[in-house]
Amino acid sequence: MTRLHWSAMIFMGLAAIVLAMPIVVVSAAALNGGRTMLFPPEDPTLARFVEFFVSEPVWRTALYNSTVIALGSAAIAVLAAWPMAYWIWKRSDTGSKALAGLAAMPFALPPIVFGVGLGFMWAFTGGLGTIWAAILSHAALFVALPLVTISIGLQSVDRAHLDAAATMGATEGVTFRTIVLPQTLPYTASGFFFAMVLSFNEFIVMFFVSSSAFSTVTLQIFNSLRNGFTPTMAVAAITFITVSVVAFSLVARFGDLPRLMGADQTRD
Amino acid sequence: MSSESIDIGLPKATEPASLAPILGKVARVVFRVLVVCFCLTPFLLVIAISLGEKIEGAAWVWGFEFTHYERFFAGADWPNSYSGIYLQKLWYSLYYALIAAPIAVVTAFPFTYFLTRLTRRAQTVWLIFLLSSLSLSEVFIVMGWDVLLSNRSGLPMVLRELGITDWMKATGWFDVAREWGLASPRDLKFKTSLFATVLTMSYLVWPYAVILLYPALSRLDNSTVEAARTMGAGPWAVMRTVILPTVRIPLIGTTLLLFVFLLGVYVSVTVFADPSQHTLAVSIYGSVRGSTLNAPFGAAQSVILLITAGLFLVLSQILVSYAEKRR
Repeated sequence: MTRLHWSAMIFMGLAAIVLAMPIVVVSAAALNGGRTMLFPPEDPTLARFVEFFVSEPVWRTALYNSTVIALGSAAIAVLAAWPMAYWIWKRSDTGSKALAGLAAMPFALPPIVFGVGLGFMWAFTGGLGTIWAAILSHAALFVALPLVTISIGLQSVDRAHLDAAATMGATEGVTFRTIVLPQTLPYTASGFFFAMVLSFNEFIVMFFVSSSAFSTVTLQIFNSLRNGFTPTMAVAAITFITVSVVAFSLVARFGDLPRLMGADQTRD
Repeated sequence: MSSESIDIGLPKATEPASLAPILGKVARVVFRVLVVCFCLTPFLLVIAISLGEKIEGAAWVWGFEFTHYERFFAGADWPNSYSGIYLQKLWYSLYYALIAAPIAVVTAFPFTYFLTRLTRRAQTVWLIFLLSSLSLSEVFIVMGWDVLLSNRSGLPMVLRELGITDWMKATGWFDVAREWGLASPRDLKFKTSLFATVLTMSYLVWPYAVILLYPALSRLDNSTVEAARTMGAGPWAVMRTVILPTVRIPLIGTTLLLFVFLLGVYVSVTVFADPSQHTLAVSIYGSVRGSTLNAPFGAAQSVILLITAGLFLVLSQILVSYAEKRR
């Protein structure tokens, strides 16, 4: 491993500062005693945290909705991604690949277009403004993420184990349960966390699907954009960044984050 | 007895007739139909509704007319008068993305290169940080830059306190800033400005740029770099002759993907861009759910955005397959 030049380290340090700057400023703004976002905060207080988590039902309900939609849609996305990733891995035929390509489309194209389309679709089927429609919409939007992580996981399954299982007469089901599933579990979990965190933060698709019937935290902030930001919203930002850091730390703890992101395995 | 011994080693093709395989097949078909329903139908609906007919003072009905596309390209009053206002909105969508995407890639490239030279452990910590920033909602990021660029507690305040604003006034740079739309008559101001919009957009996609460049740069063959160094090439020569040529395709591919991502940005533009310079995404929102309420026209604008994004995605796909063929 080559040691970095001092100028490279300074560059990385600067990048870290710029990257952290808005997050730090927002986090500090949550301490403001007044209603305006000032930095540094004026007469610091923790009252905004109480407002966000306890006393204001608007934020409490929104946080509850965000959580339900994030967990529900991530679970469905993982369940839907599994067979698609498995078919590609097992047969790698055109049909399976086309299906996976189709499933990746909502994530690749501008979310506002998918949101508009989903809004129409739920209006016709009567699901507009319901939580389950929101869960299914986010599952469709983010199914691409577990699809990618599970595919990476399947490629890492030891072929020797599969051959051994086949020689000993194991059926596809038994092989799947005893070899494939355990070895790909960290990748499945990563896919779940990726989908969960992104769903938690998403609001454009949610805007068209919710149809003002309910709101999530980010959607609530989006809807009050015209009135400006308030310190209570900054508490939401702290909560969300914490959830992301915890989720991705878990991914790193139980899986191999550099490999998941496409790093070369042969090095180190 | 003899027939059983032949059977050994062959797959048990003739299991007692059970429903399981049929059920499995049915489940498979149902699953595929569901995927198509959820991932393709919304896009098809947008296309179908863009051809619908808007009824004055009411909703809309199905139809087959191109009036909404006509309005997009030539204005509502065509053919009596021409207005290119929606084409202009499309242009602003492209314009912001065209500036912000390359800025993000150019600054993320050296960063990613250094990142891949670190130990695996350090890389993991950086990746957690980058992914957390990447997944953070656009509303929070805009919230942060809103404070950082605000007159009372942001960059204008810092520059004023440091005396830079006064220095700029004395040397005439202040007038330049005014010309660029970065100052009011008395003070520097960044809201609303092109600078603030592009800055926030670049920030938004910067972690994406790192994540997208990461695979290519971490697979870079270190031995060729070292060979070039041993032969006396300086760091810049190595970058120009060894590293850049090998990652040229991923660099262009990343820029295209960021570009597509930026086409759909909404909050940064509404908060930081002047209303006369708003993008197609903002206009779609207005037509479908906002003040103007014209679903077919909103759908037509969505189709235009979809085609624009699709073109660039196809372009990046062609690039990738071209690069794979050359390998």
